[in-house]
Amino acid sequence: MDLKTVEQAFFIYFYISLSLLSIGVIASRNIIHSVFFLLIFLLHVAAVFLLLNSEFLMVVQILVYVGGVLVLFVFAIMVMNIKEELRHRRFVKFAGVGVGVSLLFFIVFSSLITKIKIEPDNVIVSDTKILGSLLYSYYLLPFEILSLVLLIALIGGILIAKKYPRESK
Amino acid sequence: MINQYLLLSATLFTIGLIGFIIRRDLIVMLMCLEIMFNAVNISLASFSYYGGDYTGQVFVLFSIAVAASEAAVGLAIVLALVRATAKNHSDEINWMKG
Repeated sequence: MDLKTVEQAFFIYFYISLSLLSIGVIASRNIIHSVFFLLIFLLHVAAVFLLLNSEFLMVVQILVYVGGVLVLFVFAIMVMNIKEELRHRRFVKFAGVGVGVSLLFFIVFSSLITKIKIEPDNVIVSDTKILGSLLYSYYLLPFEILSLVLLIALIGGILIAKKYPRESK
Repeated sequence: MINQYLLLSATLFTIGLIGFIIRRDLIVMLMCLEIMFNAVNISLASFSYYGGDYTGQVFVLFSIAVAASEAAVGLAIVLALVRATAKNHSDEINWMKG
């Protein structure tokens, strides 16, 4: 078995499992089940990054999404103490219209995708050193602005979620 | 080939879009936003891989950081909303009568 066949088999596995996991996120009735489907989904996306020869992105994906964002979701569910979703209906009234519009979007988008031709003449090799030097030389200003954005999101998140004392009249 | 990765990205984006439109729960809507962010990240990484340019990977890094801050602010807004009104469904929040 040559390398191309193995890569293709892995890609087909990731395609099927990523589709099923994201359907599981949007269709499961219990919200904790959605979070755990999202956990496995994010780990599979990290594996797809590894398939695309970008190791640093895989590490960042696991660190930031699985270690940060998902823990934030779990904490938010725990703080809000949501239980009543089991008794209510899951979808909005116009769910059929939403599915129709999304499928129309998918049909148009996939018909555009099949026309794209990029010959893999110079496929990149996995090299984190080049990425780091690019990040600290050419993209230095966006990198610094990004730290400012993260700081503002931190302060804004704390300020919005803060519990204010009841104002007495 | 690049087409199959772009098709994967389009499929995941569509599933996230369907979930964002049809679900009522605000936290599940935020999770669908994360699915859509991940779909776009896969397409950027595949363009970086097949185009032979590292700029796509740098952009994915920026996108992941912006997604993290978006999740933090969005969950803070949902938390404040649930605390103020005890409602966490998107179709119950209709005081603006838009």
